[in-house]
Amino acid sequence: MIAAAIHSGIQVTSGAERVPPGLARNVMTISGRELRDAVRARWFVLYTLAFAGLGLAISLVSATATGGSGLASFGRTTAGMINLVLLVVPLMALTAGAGAIASDRERGMLQYLLAQPVSRLEVLLGKYLGLAGALLSCICLGLGACAGVLAWKGMGTDPAAVLWLAGLSFGLALAMLSCGVLISTLAGRASVAVGTAVFAWLTLVFVSDLGLMAGAMALRMRIEQLFALSVMNPLQVFKMWSLHAADASLDVLGPAGLYATEEYGKWLHALFAGCLLAWIVVPLAAAAVTLSRRSPI
Amino acid sequence: MISIEHVTKRFGRGRAVSDVCLDVGTGDSVALWGLNGAGKTTLIRCVLGLISFEGRICVGGHDVGSRGKRARMLIGYVPQELSFYDELRVSEAVVFFSKLKGLGVPALDAVLGGVGLSGHEAKRIRELSGGMKQRLALAIAMLGDPPVLILDEVTASLDACGREEFVSLLAGLSGSGRTMLFASHRVEEVASLAKRVAVLEKGKLERVQSPFEFASALGAGTVVHLVIPAAARERAMAELRAGGLVPTLNGVGVLVGVDAARKAAPFRLLAEAGVPVDDFELLREGGHGTAHGRKEHA
Amino acid sequence: MNRVIGAILVCGGAWLARAGDTPASLDHEAPARTFASRQSTLAGALSARIAAAQAGAVIEIGAGVYHEHLRIDKPLTLIGRPGAIIDGAGSGDIVEIAAEGVTFRGFTVRNTGIDLEQENAAIRVLAGRATIEDNVLEDVLFGIDLRSAPDCVVRGNRIGGKALDIARRGDGLRLWRSDRGVIENNVLHDGRDAILWYSSGIKVRGNRSDDCRYGLHLMFSDDVVIEDNTLSGNSVGIYLMYSAGVEITRNRLVRNRGPSGYGIGLKEADRFSVRENLITGNRVGVYLDGSPFTTKQPGVFTRNIFAFNDIGVTFLPSARGNEFTDNNFIDNIDQVAVSGRGALTGNRFWKGERGNFWSDYTGYDRDADGIGDFVHESRTLFESMTERNPEMRLFLFSPAQQAIEFVGRAVPAVRPEAKFEDEVPRMRPVEIGFAKAESGVRSMTLAATAFGLLAIGGGVLRAARKDGGP
Repeated sequence: MIAAAIHSGIQVTSGAERVPPGLARNVMTISGRELRDAVRARWFVLYTLAFAGLGLAISLVSATATGGSGLASFGRTTAGMINLVLLVVPLMALTAGAGAIASDRERGMLQYLLAQPVSRLEVLLGKYLGLAGALLSCICLGLGACAGVLAWKGMGTDPAAVLWLAGLSFGLALAMLSCGVLISTLAGRASVAVGTAVFAWLTLVFVSDLGLMAGAMALRMRIEQLFALSVMNPLQVFKMWSLHAADASLDVLGPAGLYATEEYGKWLHALFAGCLLAWIVVPLAAAAVTLSRRSPI
Repeated sequence: MISIEHVTKRFGRGRAVSDVCLDVGTGDSVALWGLNGAGKTTLIRCVLGLISFEGRICVGGHDVGSRGKRARMLIGYVPQELSFYDELRVSEAVVFFSKLKGLGVPALDAVLGGVGLSGHEAKRIRELSGGMKQRLALAIAMLGDPPVLILDEVTASLDACGREEFVSLLAGLSGSGRTMLFASHRVEEVASLAKRVAVLEKGKLERVQSPFEFASALGAGTVVHLVIPAAARERAMAELRAGGLVPTLNGVGVLVGVDAARKAAPFRLLAEAGVPVDDFELLREGGHGTAHGRKEHA
Repeated sequence: MNRVIGAILVCGGAWLARAGDTPASLDHEAPARTFASRQSTLAGALSARIAAAQAGAVIEIGAGVYHEHLRIDKPLTLIGRPGAIIDGAGSGDIVEIAAEGVTFRGFTVRNTGIDLEQENAAIRVLAGRATIEDNVLEDVLFGIDLRSAPDCVVRGNRIGGKALDIARRGDGLRLWRSDRGVIENNVLHDGRDAILWYSSGIKVRGNRSDDCRYGLHLMFSDDVVIEDNTLSGNSVGIYLMYSAGVEITRNRLVRNRGPSGYGIGLKEADRFSVRENLITGNRVGVYLDGSPFTTKQPGVFTRNIFAFNDIGVTFLPSARGNEFTDNNFIDNIDQVAVSGRGALTGNRFWKGERGNFWSDYTGYDRDADGIGDFVHESRTLFESMTERNPEMRLFLFSPAQQAIEFVGRAVPAVRPEAKFEDEVPRMRPVEIGFAKAESGVRSMTLAATAFGLLAIGGGVLRAARKDGGP
């Protein structure tokens, strides 16, 4: 009788075997759930509040500092925003990504999920997209609030520059999310994954730049070497690209920036896009391979 | 329906599953029986395609290695303990898995009603008791009425009452041509659900028996687990020893081995001595020392 | 009277044109019936009219394309009606003014040669008191070239250079030993320089220069007034070399970002004042090299806005004796820099009670007198690093930069020397009459952008929450 009740809840297509949903549908299902979970999570709320709050502070300070002169091309606002994005977005994306797989594995959820008619790639992509949606929402809310304040204060900030900043921040977030997810698939435990993600953040934000600075000065590095090395860092790529978008040149970055503009010219966008794309695709692909090879338990 | 051909799973140098061959036909119901570490759970994970292995497993003709999605489409799976996103509501969980199985939005009342979870739609998973979680897991497994049901020690984390309820729920499902493969360490489950029993020892499939053969083979080795208040335990030990039995203490009471035909003997002894018994449980004893299995973790 | 002469000339011209078999003339088969103003491509038509005119005559030229190279050798007034085009057909100079007191107005002059040696010019003036007004010069190597032509007026012309790379372009406007002229309301674009050589007492007012090399370049030209000009997107805005007595007032120097990229450059200039200029988005706002040249009079910089330049003011060690008061230094990446290692001794950033506004001032004003209670000192470790290793600017705006600044503040051992001091820093920017930029429209688009972004962010949230409802 109980069985009958259970059966009646579902329309059973008897006889013909049902075909499992395709990749796209499963990815959508999983990403929807992941997104829902993410935006309810404490980390999302805290990061969003921190990002928007700091951004608003920067906007207000810079609006006061220019004395409402209404002049603004490239100034403290954009620089401050870039700085803020460089600090907050990678940390958020890396830790979000790091939590994605490892904690599920630790709590046995991954095993349960994979016992359903889904593939590992679907689970990975679904989680990635869901988290990406949450990050997009966080970035848009934060930068949108800042742009609102700037508009209200009558600052002449270029709307196109704001849009570029938002788009590139999202690009950076995707790259960092890929790295976080890779860390997550490699790490044995969730705590290890998050720790590694924070370490990766420190490395990308501070250690690599400071090391490169020291190295460049100590080894008397040539400008093209310096530029080539700095393009390896997705954070630098984000920074240079947003500057380029706001200013149409990189000469604000001194000789190295000038070199980049002269050497690559119109191809600079392609170069940056390529680097960022590589940082998005390669770690994600590596994560997919790792996940398919590793046992989910 | 499920064909397991020469499956071996190595962990490092050891083998968790060693060259197992097993065929489970349509409508068959096979219990996997064995000690901790005998390879029951590992074999189930292999069937679900969760881990890689040597050999070949097909479910409904689909190789679980290369066509895992198709194979799992035929399977409803209930784990030992449902662990899923705690913040998710019961209804959300059902809808989520229903989508993954390619079904439309299910009729929640019927799905949840069937496992006695009506009225709990809006609860979050973390608010459910262990028994309710297992019933939710069963409801999810039964979405789409899959022809194969795979259960991995589904009652291990339930109390006696929950266990009984759950087993009767499963007994209701086992007919109607459904294929079942389940791991268990409880004789009563095996007796009421299985048509055949596959006995695993150290990863090897030792034999496949009928439940009847299985029960009689097991007869000599039954252990009764008696839950006795702490104050009365020493006295119980003394009384049982005096009655010619060999008791050992454990956390909440006493374990005592008895002949399958004389399972009531310890109760009689204790009742005569006026020692209170709160609860009891029948456990199996293998050939290698004590086996107590209130919670057996794979 | 003139018209009659014109008609006769046109008839003659038509015959000549046929003889010369100019293809374009085939379109106009019946010249005799056509009025002069409709006529075109008549070789020598204008020259003939000039030749026939008497000194002091006013000649109006109607619409038409005249393929001619003119020489005006008597004091005439030539007025081009709308559509009067003189085309040099890509060779040589086009108009040469060789007599004093010529007025040349309203023409389109186009298509000079490209010979830099010959300095092919659209209008070359070789005599004084000429008035060159309201002409449009297109596709020219040199635009208006005054050679030893004092007391001229060049006003309201529009001068567009050739689409050549900068090394092969000529000067849009050049004065050579031509004193006391007025250069007013001209627009120059895509040329090389607007340059004054040995020309004193010139007024340069209300001109605009975009995308040239030097917006305005003075060489050995004294007592020049430069007012209300807009120089943007040039390699350098204004560059004074070896010139004295120059007043630079109310100019806009915007985004001059060539390899040197100065808003205003001053090399061995003397007795100069720089007031109320808007200097923004340049690579270097003001560049000071050996200026003031003598110590007779300090270099005066007052009430200017230095905003969003990479460097607000760069001093070479040779620059001493400048006074900066009541300027606004707003968000220049480097507010003030010293090129090479040196201190800013000999230059002052305050005088009496008059200091400057510094957007990076960190002090406060407890007594509310509008002047910060603490001295403004500029010393940042990263800045001193980049001044020594300019390639380190690659790390600008990164958290690593912040880390270095933090170390610089926290660790006295590595704290750099203060570059300069302003003892009376202003708390608020000086109000200067410049327009509030075009922020109105932008604010609206910015608000729309903000709304759009918030809508995306909120939309994602909404979708996520809604989808989850039981």
